[in-house]
Amino acid sequence: MAMLEVSNLNKSFGGIQAMTDVGFSVEEGEILSVIGPNGAGKTTLFNLITGVYRPDSGDIRFEDRSLVGFKPNQIVDMGVARTFQNLRLFTHLSVLDNVLLPQHHKLRSTWMSAVFRTPGYRRQEREMREFAMEKLAFFGPRLMSYRLHQPVMMLSYANRRRSEIARAMATGAKLLLLDEPSAGMNPKETTEITGIIRRMRDEGGYTILLVEHKMNLVGEISDRVLVLDYGQKIAEGSYQDVVNDPKVVEAYLGKKAEDADSDGELPA
Amino acid sequence: MEDHPRLRNTVLTIAGLVVLALVMAFIDRLAAADDPISGIVKFSSAMAMFAIWGVATVSLNLVNGTLGILSLGHHGFMLIGGYTTGLLILSDQARGRILDSARSQMTDATLGISISNWLEAFGLTGLTTDDTLWVRFLIAVFIGGLVAAVAGLLVGIPSLRLRGDYLAIVTFGFGEIIRLSASTRIVAPLTNGALGFPGVPQAFGNSTLWTFGFLAITVFVMAKLKYSSYGRAMEGIREDEIAAEAMGVNLAYHKVLGFAISAFFAGVAGGLWVSWLGGVRLDFFLFQLTFFFLVALSAGGTGSITGVLLGTALVVFVRQYGDPLEEQYAIATWLVIAAVTLAIGALGVLVFRYLQRLRPRLHPSIFVLLGAAGVALVISVIDPGFIEGSFRGFGMRAIFLSVLLIVIMVFRPEGITGRAEFSWAAVFRERRDQPTDEERAQDAWLTNPELAKRLEEAERAARGGPDDDESEEG
Repeated sequence: MAMLEVSNLNKSFGGIQAMTDVGFSVEEGEILSVIGPNGAGKTTLFNLITGVYRPDSGDIRFEDRSLVGFKPNQIVDMGVARTFQNLRLFTHLSVLDNVLLPQHHKLRSTWMSAVFRTPGYRRQEREMREFAMEKLAFFGPRLMSYRLHQPVMMLSYANRRRSEIARAMATGAKLLLLDEPSAGMNPKETTEITGIIRRMRDEGGYTILLVEHKMNLVGEISDRVLVLDYGQKIAEGSYQDVVNDPKVVEAYLGKKAEDADSDGELPA
Repeated sequence: MEDHPRLRNTVLTIAGLVVLALVMAFIDRLAAADDPISGIVKFSSAMAMFAIWGVATVSLNLVNGTLGILSLGHHGFMLIGGYTTGLLILSDQARGRILDSARSQMTDATLGISISNWLEAFGLTGLTTDDTLWVRFLIAVFIGGLVAAVAGLLVGIPSLRLRGDYLAIVTFGFGEIIRLSASTRIVAPLTNGALGFPGVPQAFGNSTLWTFGFLAITVFVMAKLKYSSYGRAMEGIREDEIAAEAMGVNLAYHKVLGFAISAFFAGVAGGLWVSWLGGVRLDFFLFQLTFFFLVALSAGGTGSITGVLLGTALVVFVRQYGDPLEEQYAIATWLVIAAVTLAIGALGVLVFRYLQRLRPRLHPSIFVLLGAAGVALVISVIDPGFIEGSFRGFGMRAIFLSVLLIVIMVFRPEGITGRAEFSWAAVFRERRDQPTDEERAQDAWLTNPELAKRLEEAERAARGGPDDDESEEG
């Protein structure tokens, strides 16, 4: 049984059909990349899975439980977490706090015992810290030591990206939805993040659903690739198969001149 | 991880609290003496007012600062706590006088609601004497807080689905609804309508020791809450609601929780406030109160308990000691006051530019301010006939406070402390967010191995002769 199963997903905003009959599945321990031109519906897909939007029809099943109708925080509880394309870190909080906060939903203490720091609360807080350090360690010494206590707004852009991924990992989710994890990074940092994503799967045991524009990253780490265009699935398969698929080439580059529509209009 | 000298901090905190308690007890003794030192009574009552308002502002800070929700209904929750505490603690003589009064809308039954009667019903007559009034006061304040917290829940659950301006308007509306319902006929037997009732014991609200005790408890709870997992979740909601929800924070639960805790302490502050004033009346709980709290929050630093207390001190002491500003003076005297204020302003600008390392240090505005001060001074000295007469500075206190707030907002929009909190670590300059030399070197290796290698070589050369140690590989 697949870890995540999406079937016949539909979503429209007013008159715009943002998602039409999209269906796919993610196996446990897999890295599945979702690619497609701008406006293809990649982020909408993420928003549907994580409960930000509610699908018009269709089903999303995670470990055989439907995610439809649940709130984002409940979906995190079930084990699906995401990162955001345009960073949404808690900028005034420290790196450590940013990685501790996502563990709050696992806390089994009332606010009273938190205020009075009961032994049970202290133990959980200690465990949360250890878990946070474990997740931050994926990124090497960059986010450790003194940077732990710096507010996120003092970090470089690449470090913020790393913090965002660490934060999603700290929720304790098994399936991570990474929305353009390498956006705005230079080639060296992209190579590094590629390695980290692979290690997240191999060592961390995460299953990863990835939206990415950098094709070299996608080609390097994806087990399978899903291509969306105008809210429809146009291809699915290995990276090599997909990039050679004429439909995919057409979606990205347009038709050849002899195949183009007679009115000569350029495809978007 | 344990690089924080915990024991030292705890010892220092307890020592500080003991010293504070001794000072407050001393002030109480001086103020209660047969022949009090001049001004001490006023000072002690100002200190008590600071502590009471401190309870209110620190609790408002949980909603406005930590949760990032603009709530304007704090006076409503204070009113609920105040009326509840007032009714529960009323002395028998005061009850009798209210019943005798022709205009009283209160009845025998409603006046029977009292802690003393309840304690008697349980056979605890030992707790109904005058000596044990403090037990009843504590119970009354606690119940007042609980009733306010329930009101906070009732207001919070429907309204916290809204965001931003809309939520602010709704909370303001609820605050006013609470205040105006207190004067309606339905609850008049409990509140005595718009008249309210006198006779609330003043022994606690006017005692600096008692009020600072309540303030200490409030600060303890708020600080512990802020630095707990719950506080982190609430700060996450302030920073980015969508991200907080995507990280598993239950928005509705944490907002309502924060709102109810805040309302509880507002109710406690209300109970202390009626004790400070010695009675309950509708106009003790005007929207103005919330407005002054907001001024204290903004001036001190929204989100920082330390800053909020500083802001509260500012507001309270300007209010209590600003009366010379409202007296009648000759216009020439006013001109001298204006000249001094302008000169202080010029000095302030100079200090600000110096601290902020702004160039030029002598900004033209300094000369403008000094020039204006000079003109005012010269006119007052020449004392020409056309400016004769005197002027009463009616409302000058509020104007002074407003100008002060404008100045703070211009030069330090985040408030006096910003988001920073007082901590012993800061006092001892233990900064954990700065790299040690070792960490700096490691950073250099990560970002630019070439440069790091060269730096290391230069350092080695400076030390004299190459070391035998193998150099690290990048």
